[in-house]
Amino acid sequence: MKVKYVAFALAAFLGALVAGDWLPRVVPVAADSASVSVSGVVKFQGAVLPPTKIDMSTDPNCMKAHPSPGTTEDVVVGANGVLEDAVVYVSGGLEGHAFTPPAEPVVLEQKGCTYKPHVIALQANQKLNVVNGDSTTHNIHPSPANNREWNMTQPPGVPLEESFAREEIAIPVKCNIHPWMRGYVAVFKHPFFAVTGKDGSFELKNLPAGNYTVTVWHGKLGTQSQQVTVAAGQPAKLDFVFKQ
Amino acid sequence: MRVITMRVITKRVIAETGAVAALMLFASLMGVAQQSHIGNLVGNAKSGKALYQRYCIFCHGANGDGNGDSAPYIDPKPRDFTKATYKCRSTPSGSLPLDSDLYDTITRGVHASGMPSWRPLLRQERADLVAYVKSFSSRFQEEPAVAAVSLPPQTPTSPESVKRGGELFRSMNCWLCHGNDGRGNGPSASSLTDSKGYALKPFDLSSGTTLKCGDSDQGILRDLITGLDGTPMPSFSSALKPDQMWDLVHYLATLREAAKHHTAVAAVEPKSE
Amino acid sequence: MTPEQSGVGYKSVSKIISIIRGGLENMSKQFGFASVNGMGALLLLAVVMTAVSPARAIPAFARKYGLPCSACHEAWPMLNNFGQTFKDNGYQLGNGRDAPIDQRPEYWPIAFRLTPQWHRESNSRMAVDQVPGNGGSGQVETSVTRYGFDTSFIDLLTAGTLSKNISFFVQPFIGTGGTFLSQAWVRFDNLAQSRWLNLKVGKFVLDEPISQERVLTLSNIGGEYYNYFFTPPGDHNFNGIGGSQLGAELSGHSQNDYTRYAVATFSQYPSQTFNVYAHITQAFEIPRLGLQRAGVFGYLGEAPTYFQTSGGAVINGAGLGNRSYYRAGAYGMWYVGKFDFETLYQHGQDNVFLGNSVPANQPGSLPLGAAGPSWNGGFVEAHYLQSPRLVLIGRYELVRMSRQASPQFPTDAGNLDTWTAGYRWYPIMNPRAGLAWVQEFSRILNAGQAPLTGRNGINSSLLMGFDFDF
Repeated sequence: MKVKYVAFALAAFLGALVAGDWLPRVVPVAADSASVSVSGVVKFQGAVLPPTKIDMSTDPNCMKAHPSPGTTEDVVVGANGVLEDAVVYVSGGLEGHAFTPPAEPVVLEQKGCTYKPHVIALQANQKLNVVNGDSTTHNIHPSPANNREWNMTQPPGVPLEESFAREEIAIPVKCNIHPWMRGYVAVFKHPFFAVTGKDGSFELKNLPAGNYTVTVWHGKLGTQSQQVTVAAGQPAKLDFVFKQ
Repeated sequence: MRVITMRVITKRVIAETGAVAALMLFASLMGVAQQSHIGNLVGNAKSGKALYQRYCIFCHGANGDGNGDSAPYIDPKPRDFTKATYKCRSTPSGSLPLDSDLYDTITRGVHASGMPSWRPLLRQERADLVAYVKSFSSRFQEEPAVAAVSLPPQTPTSPESVKRGGELFRSMNCWLCHGNDGRGNGPSASSLTDSKGYALKPFDLSSGTTLKCGDSDQGILRDLITGLDGTPMPSFSSALKPDQMWDLVHYLATLREAAKHHTAVAAVEPKSE
Repeated sequence: MTPEQSGVGYKSVSKIISIIRGGLENMSKQFGFASVNGMGALLLLAVVMTAVSPARAIPAFARKYGLPCSACHEAWPMLNNFGQTFKDNGYQLGNGRDAPIDQRPEYWPIAFRLTPQWHRESNSRMAVDQVPGNGGSGQVETSVTRYGFDTSFIDLLTAGTLSKNISFFVQPFIGTGGTFLSQAWVRFDNLAQSRWLNLKVGKFVLDEPISQERVLTLSNIGGEYYNYFFTPPGDHNFNGIGGSQLGAELSGHSQNDYTRYAVATFSQYPSQTFNVYAHITQAFEIPRLGLQRAGVFGYLGEAPTYFQTSGGAVINGAGLGNRSYYRAGAYGMWYVGKFDFETLYQHGQDNVFLGNSVPANQPGSLPLGAAGPSWNGGFVEAHYLQSPRLVLIGRYELVRMSRQASPQFPTDAGNLDTWTAGYRWYPIMNPRAGLAWVQEFSRILNAGQAPLTGRNGINSSLLMGFDFDF
């Protein structure tokens, strides 16, 4: 008799959880007329220090790949003040939703003894393919605050596949062997993120209509957030400006 | 037998729902009382807590985050147990250690650091400490248990093996941190930091000093496979085949010998490609 | 009356209160134990004479390694197995950070200990002049009580490593009797890379079965182990296991310190005496109870019974007429969770000449029926370690003469029974310094020792004070 009551109590409890939206729902991400995009440009206003030249002479193989010295990529500003390597993402408004990561991996390449791209973004549990396209051995060493820390040596051409289980914006990645190599991996629970390219532009696609908080993150300049309301059939425009 | 009325059923359902809910919530928050299993030993965190407060708290801190009162005066810093990132393990890089890994570290101590060998403690006490140390990180409840890496059988040493090992020392870029003679003075050595940002030096392989995770050839091989998490020393499990790892271990032995007998190391000259 | 109202002494009282309050906070932080009211525990009053107890809690080691006192000490100065292993290793943890060159330059291996206290002592049968001040007024036996504040001795301790595998210990003692070196020795550790071979040379305390260095009590009465210092009536051979010896000791231990041995040879006098001491001990685990230890020890010595003289004055060190004496016994240290018991049995015997203080070249001076005195003794000491910061102590010690040196002594002359009880509470115990609050009460019954009547004398002492260790 007691068992029956316990089972009933358990069922009631779980039912309450689901009904009360305490268990996450899986929302399929599909393009339809009801979902829109948020796009815009991230800019930087202020004085930009010229990037420092990197001395790669410790490794002759890196020197060969860089006939002219490479430069640091801390704050890369293009024409008209557009900011590269800023990560724009939805930081609020997606509570209660869960998203399966895509099957395709994201590729991070070590080329010319630098990370390409400098900042990469992917979903939690999405595969990260690390590629060593150089003729020297690298080690890839993320320093996460919210994920497991690992450190793998990667000789030229040897494949390496990893993933991160938890959202973290963003995980610094470095190569200990080549200390100038620094990059970032931003990990999201959802697919609504973009990393600005040379033109500083971003587009967050396939957002369901609703109210959202959109945040921009930059490795050196910090974060900014804005509210945006996305209505069906009406793409929203959103710009960010980092001032120095 | 009592007649079961609706009222009684409702009361019981409410009471038991509440009890079950509370239990589930409590269990999910606290986790099962932390235990450790090392061989026949079963350690429990409650006993470990009293031992921790007697022995460990001034370095590792009341919260197990490595911020004990003595920590500012210690280099390298005491381990932050809340991150569950450990140097000396038998598991792949990024994985939790085995209970026996933590037990071995407590027993052996960590050479050239503030962590002494706690061998004089009873085995049960050390097992209890392992259980309590684990309780500082929820990872031990969240992540599935990981098996130990398998150590490939040792290959015999030979001049050819040593030579191959020397070439690997070069091509795997060990020399960039550890230096050409393994003395820890490579070009990248001065830039190295641990995962908390504190500077640390690569191990002086020529010194003959005890290595932090154990000195045997099997121990060095295991270090190559697992990497020392939380430090710049990576795992070579994707990079080297078992034979190659043993070649490297054989080469490293000659670095120690060279220092002991002041003989010249078969220096591996930089090759231009 | 509140401290504020009392006016005088307010600052010091409030300072003490804030120390204790801070200590309580520390204690609840470290051990979650906030329910002890140290001040409220002032139920036992203790009388204390200045103690001559050697002090062996060395905060310099805590400072060196960043470890708290509780890592090496059950309750300082009592060592636990970790601390005993550290000591047996030559004050080395063995983690490559022991030698002086590995320390920060400002580290200095100095510690000191002092025990300011209030004490009350009572002697039940002392011979006093009938008229105070008049030595010719005849004497009576009466009880004498003395009490008051006292500052005790200062123990300076400097100990550690001179280099890898060379350890040292120098302990100047500054007390009312003067300043002298309690200990000064050098030890060559791990000879031939073996932990079984360690050679100590200098002035040192023997590797006693239950070390007097770990004694938790401070009073002169009942504060030390009488068996180590016992001398029967009529005997002036004040040598025994207690006290520092001048000599050399070879010792060794297993890796976890469960097996230990020590063999020492030393001279009591700077003269031609041969003395040897040996001690062997084995520890073993009993599951759920703890680490137990048992051992045996023996001490064989000789002492001169008269000296060469020149012009009637003794030539110091030129002893003659050596006669032998020995001590031997067995002991155990038993742990049952938070309780632990120490049990010791010792048998002692002195040669008849030593026992009667008669030079060996005057056998005719021996009283009729003289014999070498022999005795048996021992003690049981119990501790309850509520936490590393609170220990309760109780001890009963006794000596029973089995044969008197001379028939003129009553059969029970020299017998003693001592009861000691007390506690130590450590509000401050961190890697820099330690402070303990101590209260003790002791009572000793000395059979047949009253100076005039030969009746039993009962002395008691009450002590209350701080044990400050920096």
